[in-house]
Amino acid sequence: MPAIAASQLVKHFAPDIRAVDGIDLDIPEGQIFGFLGQNGSGKTTTVRMLTTLTKPTSGSASVDGIDIAKDPAAIRRRVGVALQEVGLDELQTGRELLTLQARLFGIDGKEAKRRVNDLLEVVTLTDAADRPLKGYSGGMKRRLDLVCALVNEPRIVFLDEPTTGLDPVTRDAVWQYVQQLNKDRGVTFFLTTQYLEEADRLCHEIAIMDAGKIVAEGTPSALKATIAADAITLSFADGTSALDRAEELLRTFEGAEDVRRVEDSVVLYIRDGASAVAQVVRSLDEAGLSPAQLRLTHPTLDDVFLRATGHYLEPQESPAPGGGADARAH
Amino acid sequence: MRVLIDTLLLTRRALRETVRQPANEAVNAFIPLFFYVVTVGGLGEVASQAFGVEDYKGFQLPVAILQGAAGVASGAGLAMTLDIQSGYFEKLMLTSTPRPAVVLGRMLADGVKAVILTVVIIGLALAYGSGFETGPLGMLLLVAGSGVFALGYSGIGMAIALKTGSPQAANAGFVIFFPLLFLAPTFAPTDVFADWLAAVANVNPVTYILEGQRALIIDGWDAGAILGGTAAIAGICAFTFSLTMMALRGRVA
Ligand SMILES: Nc1ncnc2c1ncn2[C@@H]1O[C@H](COP(=O)(O)OP(=O)(O)OP(=O)(O)O)[C@@H](O)[C@H]1O
Ligand SMILES: [Mg+2]
Repeated sequence: MPAIAASQLVKHFAPDIRAVDGIDLDIPEGQIFGFLGQNGSGKTTTVRMLTTLTKPTSGSASVDGIDIAKDPAAIRRRVGVALQEVGLDELQTGRELLTLQARLFGIDGKEAKRRVNDLLEVVTLTDAADRPLKGYSGGMKRRLDLVCALVNEPRIVFLDEPTTGLDPVTRDAVWQYVQQLNKDRGVTFFLTTQYLEEADRLCHEIAIMDAGKIVAEGTPSALKATIAADAITLSFADGTSALDRAEELLRTFEGAEDVRRVEDSVVLYIRDGASAVAQVVRSLDEAGLSPAQLRLTHPTLDDVFLRATGHYLEPQESPAPGGGADARAH
Repeated sequence: MRVLIDTLLLTRRALRETVRQPANEAVNAFIPLFFYVVTVGGLGEVASQAFGVEDYKGFQLPVAILQGAAGVASGAGLAMTLDIQSGYFEKLMLTSTPRPAVVLGRMLADGVKAVILTVVIIGLALAYGSGFETGPLGMLLLVAGSGVFALGYSGIGMAIALKTGSPQAANAGFVIFFPLLFLAPTFAPTDVFADWLAAVANVNPVTYILEGQRALIIDGWDAGAILGGTAAIAGICAFTFSLTMMALRGRVA
């Protein structure tokens, strides 16, 4: 039985926004599954449907074998969810909020106390635990919000951009804890992120969303292997006309597998890039084009993403993590 | 059972919030006491000749109590809109708590606050010289009635909060119901009302609550009046609870 399954899951918003446009999922138990996509591609909407906060327009899904439409209450008991937007009550202390969250899962007082102490320790909030959240920094709120998802010791955890707005050290700590829970207890994770290198390092499988559809799916290495070529990225000092001409020239370059234009650079995909570089530069030089920058890389998830969607995934730092009304995206 | 336990947990949270932000409740306590003293001071001397009320301090006491309870009962809805805006409401919805508990917890907190405020108001009124015909048992009943009234009345603001998520709407909608408190024998018995006002007052549940409470304070154990007041409070609760549960179902899709 898969931990999470979906079949032709669709969510439309009035008037005609196809937020999620028919996706299929089959995520086995014990997997860390990464859901990638640029802003507005439908990641959050998918999470909200799978966690029973939003009703699908059509299609079906099950979590832990339970149909989301038939028994949403049973799903809520079993899963942990940290939404993209921090949702906290600033008048409570960290300890009070976590404890209440645990009690509302039907956990008795003594056990709740134990779990809350453990979780506060995990996110190094023990010292701040008895202060009202009003005085927490954005990162502290984010961390508290995150462990709220774990008070019921869920078997399946949904994290919507858990590391956005965290500093690199905390981000690493979060990932380590995710990996630890996954290894030690077999917890399944469904998480969205905008950091491709994180997804590459940590996710067993990923899916790339674009405009409500899954456009690529598989293990990071399998996805990268589909691009059996290296990438040579070129940019020019004298702007668009040079880019146009370089693109045209490279299209007919011997061995070129693909040429992509991304913002102010041209990417040439070619096997054995290292030995091709010299010839590329020479040909450009003959045409009177001298690159201002040249970068040779092995295929990364960035390239996979670019191939699948036609654009790079640009991480957007949220301006005010844990923040106010202005930071409330979707 | 879960509903009850979780409601109490959430009530405790709401009350904790009040203790940390007491300004609203201070206003809720001041307004009815101010009106009480001013009204009694202005009309107390002439009430006996004008409309045959001997103990005007006792006559006005239920008005202060209801005004206080109604003021307190605006808390639940407003606080709920803040929970909705902060996203905390969704966090609560993601737990396995029975959903009505999230709403009832806040409403019950208003009831508890009304009980405390009512005790304070009665205490001050007694010190000020009001009588209380039915003694401690009657006081207990009055206090309980006032708590249940606030619990029910808070459902109006709560329903609007759940429906709109907007603090302005919750407050405005709530205030619209306030005149009900004055289309009733608030300052004088209905006997001296103009016909139209007496007719309105006759179908206004607040009239029956006031008369029930006045019976306890001035007249003694008048079963008819007391039952009338109890029925009116029960009616208000039934109405606002259904409204609130409908709004809750609408919000949580
Ligand atoms: N409640 C809503 N009403 C109307 N449109 C919505 C609603 N929620 C989401 N959308 C739209 O659905 C699309 C997908 O939004 P969603 O929040 O799922 O994207 P996302 O991939 O999570 O983006 P981000 O990376 O910015 O968080 C967007 O076009 C968004 O504007
Ligand atoms: Mg999102």
